[in-house]
Amino acid sequence: MSEEKRAPGMSRRRFLESAAWMSGAIATGVGSWVIRPNWANAAQRPIKVGIATDLTGAIGYAGNANANVAKMVVKDVNAAGGVLGRPLELFIEDTASNESLAVANVRKLIQRDKVDVVLGGITSSMRNAIKDVIVTRGKTLYIYPQLYEGKECTPFIFCTGPTPAQQCDEFIPWLIKNGGKRFALPSANYVWPHVLNEYARKVIEKNGGEVIFEEYYPLDQVEYSATVNKIMTNNVDVVFNTVIPPGVGPFFKQLYEAGFSKRGGRLSCVYYDENTLNINAPYEMEGLASCLDYFRAVDPLDPFSAKLQAEYDKEYPGKILFAAGSAATGMYRGLKLWEAAVKEAGKVDRDSVAAALDHAKIAEGPGGPAEMVPGKRHCKMKMYTAVAKNGNYEIVAKSEGLVDPKEC
Amino acid sequence: MESVLTAVFEILSFGAIIVLVVLGLGVIASMMGIFNFAHGEFVLLGAYTTYLVSQRGLPVWAGMLAAPIVVAAIGFLLERSVIRRFYAAPIVAMLGTYALGLAIRETVRGLIGGLYISIPEPIVGSFVIGGVQLSKWRLAIIIITALVMVGSYLLLTRTAFGLRVRAALENPSLARACGISTNTIYAVTFAFGAALAGLAGALVVPVFSLFADLGIRFLIQGFLAVMLGGVGTFEGPVAGAGVIGTLSAALPWAVAPVLADVLVFVIAIVLVKLRPGGLINGRRV
Amino acid sequence: MSLPVAESSGTRASPARRGLAVIPLLEIGLFVVFAVLPFILEDYLTVFVTRVLILSLLAISFDLVWGYAGIMSFGQALFFGTAGYSVALLARDLNITSVFIVIPAAILIGLLLALLLGSFLLLGRRTPTVIFVALGTLTGSYAADRLARGWYYLGGQNGIPSIPPMTAGSYEFAEGPVFYYLALATVVLVYLLCRFLTRSQFGLALAGMREQEARLAFLGYRVQHLKAIVFSLAGAIAGLAGGLYAFHEGFVWPNMLGVVLSTQIVLYALFGGVGTLIGAVIGVIVIEIVSFWLADNYQEIWPIILGVLLLLVILFRPTGLIGLLVSQRERVGRFGRPNLARAKSREGSRHGAS
Repeated sequence: MSEEKRAPGMSRRRFLESAAWMSGAIATGVGSWVIRPNWANAAQRPIKVGIATDLTGAIGYAGNANANVAKMVVKDVNAAGGVLGRPLELFIEDTASNESLAVANVRKLIQRDKVDVVLGGITSSMRNAIKDVIVTRGKTLYIYPQLYEGKECTPFIFCTGPTPAQQCDEFIPWLIKNGGKRFALPSANYVWPHVLNEYARKVIEKNGGEVIFEEYYPLDQVEYSATVNKIMTNNVDVVFNTVIPPGVGPFFKQLYEAGFSKRGGRLSCVYYDENTLNINAPYEMEGLASCLDYFRAVDPLDPFSAKLQAEYDKEYPGKILFAAGSAATGMYRGLKLWEAAVKEAGKVDRDSVAAALDHAKIAEGPGGPAEMVPGKRHCKMKMYTAVAKNGNYEIVAKSEGLVDPKEC
Repeated sequence: MESVLTAVFEILSFGAIIVLVVLGLGVIASMMGIFNFAHGEFVLLGAYTTYLVSQRGLPVWAGMLAAPIVVAAIGFLLERSVIRRFYAAPIVAMLGTYALGLAIRETVRGLIGGLYISIPEPIVGSFVIGGVQLSKWRLAIIIITALVMVGSYLLLTRTAFGLRVRAALENPSLARACGISTNTIYAVTFAFGAALAGLAGALVVPVFSLFADLGIRFLIQGFLAVMLGGVGTFEGPVAGAGVIGTLSAALPWAVAPVLADVLVFVIAIVLVKLRPGGLINGRRV
Repeated sequence: MSLPVAESSGTRASPARRGLAVIPLLEIGLFVVFAVLPFILEDYLTVFVTRVLILSLLAISFDLVWGYAGIMSFGQALFFGTAGYSVALLARDLNITSVFIVIPAAILIGLLLALLLGSFLLLGRRTPTVIFVALGTLTGSYAADRLARGWYYLGGQNGIPSIPPMTAGSYEFAEGPVFYYLALATVVLVYLLCRFLTRSQFGLALAGMREQEARLAFLGYRVQHLKAIVFSLAGAIAGLAGGLYAFHEGFVWPNMLGVVLSTQIVLYALFGGVGTLIGAVIGVIVIEIVSFWLADNYQEIWPIILGVLLLLVILFRPTGLIGLLVSQRERVGRFGRPNLARAKSREGSRHGAS
């Protein structure tokens, strides 16, 4: 049994457990979470993988899913013999949904632990804060696993999450057909909604739709009466929402109370996955549409996804779900693509791996296979449109094949 | 016309929540002269208690009944052990309560795992009046707040206990000379302020969901409301809360939300500068 | 009144010197330690200490206003963050990264903003209460935070990332030992400046203001003007810290402006002990190191431990760490020329002995 520290399953019991464990940990004084491979010939220098993700804070629900996936994948890879005959050693740092803490902690990964690759960052603001430390000052490879607004074309940064093109090109026409032509774009005020809305607006107008209003709110705003009123009085058909927690829960609730879905309005939100479905009561989100690279409802359609989901559920039962809006699928994809690249390059240094990663492919992944687009550092993947019914998702549409990210 | 009705309703319901929070803060500030930086965390504790109770399978409203009692007890204990050492130095009180609030907030964050948890409302649905949908629960909040305010006012002005409280407020040494135990009064007042905050938290958690930073946003608005309204009276903090609540809820209808946020504070601080005693001049802070 | 304390805590020294002058020892000791640290520490720890040094500038600025002028400012982060954002904008939009421009700019911005806010809060017909000023600065900090969070030009929630390194000609100040020594030199300079100021005649007036404001006003000093001057100076220092921080970290974000940082600085300074500039520096150093160590080892619960620790210190040692090391007499300080001080203490010893 490898000397594995238990994931912070973040239930009350776990929390109390860890508080008790604290007293025992006084002797160890180990720095960032290090999961050392337990190998007969661990004399072989391990390859160091750094994960920088939000284990605590507002984005904690996603960050923990990330960390769990990383641990699971590394364990499987090591069990299968490692990469290039060397085991993988995992270093996990908490970015705590707090950019300045994140920078300090990521520095540890780069300068103290000297990892060979960093995967992580969830929100775009986190990515922007830590990418400098990793790529420019740290000269290390960085893989960003979360859906985002695109336009990240910095060399040595590879993105394995959906881009606006992947999330909007087929989704918005579906919304127009199954919702209506009048769109509202209520948004959180930071870079992802701004840039995503730019793209979404183009697609909406190209398909004959109309944007009635586009507004930006502070991230912690919880009062949306003015917005809801605008939506109702302007007969908006589709709400293309990019408000994020903590505002999204109250917003959806207030929207429901005003009777939006009762009169046939369609709610849509491209980062909504199984984790975020827990934010509101099921009836408040009935009919919500989302477009991601994976949903649990995809399992019957793709046997590998089912296997992966089952393995995750067994290892990490509880509230932290393996879901695509929480960067978990991107993390899996990123790790596997990186593994393939290292195997092809035969070396671990940044330039060789980057060159191989540029055209890496995996045949199996959550939702289907994935391919890096050469020269673009973004990933083709299958996309699914799903609608929330009674607290679960139902797939209503899927892409023909792998969708092009259309970035850089 | 519909918009106006909706706007008024929203202002009232949001204002009611602020009033509950500020009442507790104002009572503590008037009585003991300290600004309790942990007050937001009492709101959080009230919300958390409601969540815990509902986790055990009991109905949500049972949690809402329990919340003020639990938070009052916690407030009482804290006052006895920690807070009373701060009465001599109000500035140190601000910092000590801040540290306390930090500890409480992070504890709750650890316990709920940094997640956002939704709590269903005890009364679901809305009334439809003239094409306007009024949420039943928010209406309930307004009514409950009004009742609590009236009840507190009556308690303070019509009961013997209230008389003692007012005596300790006006002249502590004389009150002590008359045999009133100011220590007990302080403890009970603090507990009462905490209870009000806990109730606010419990009432508001179905609307805002439960998360560790729930209390912080009420704190700053609370302070401004107390300063604005004036310390030393019952009506002062309420008036202040009314102004702040109205501004916060009404401004986003008129200007961009971003600007509205900042304007509330700028307006408040200018008002306080112009009228340092507060709107209702009880005693200068 | 304070001499008996010195007698009991100090050694039985000659009448001319009561107890040991601890403060200069601390100052020199810390300086020596910091001068040699980069040679001992690994690179990433050097970067960490650089950040601590810059934050200690911020703490000094707070100590100046609270420890010497009696202004409880919950808004030092306002000047810190505004200067940080301003230099970030200079770098991003106008490509100005020369240290000879951005640092003076940062100082100037901090100074001007503090002058504005200070005048509004402190001056006027009626003397403002301490609480009003405290809440006024708190509001300023909070409002700036909300504004930065909402304004997309400033990057909104994200802030402004990827700030290019500070330059001096063609040389780039990357993080590491070079920036470390730059920061150290800045801290030493600012510290000496403040020390000089607080030991001068001006400092004497400030000490009087701190001890008994009303009396000083009756003596004819314009107390509020003094406060505004100190407030502006502290704002300038905070601005300087903000400029350095922006280039060192490489990004600025709304939390640099906000209430959390402001309150943190207050706590750091109080933890270390106010009224002696070195106390604030010690406070920052200790808390940052403890936080760093805690975050490393008790990832999930370190903020709780920090909160409890701070609470305990505030409860049981309101004078801060420095109170453990330095006598009350030394905290009040000596002013003016040395022989004046000796004459005072000789006179005092006569009183004490009787």
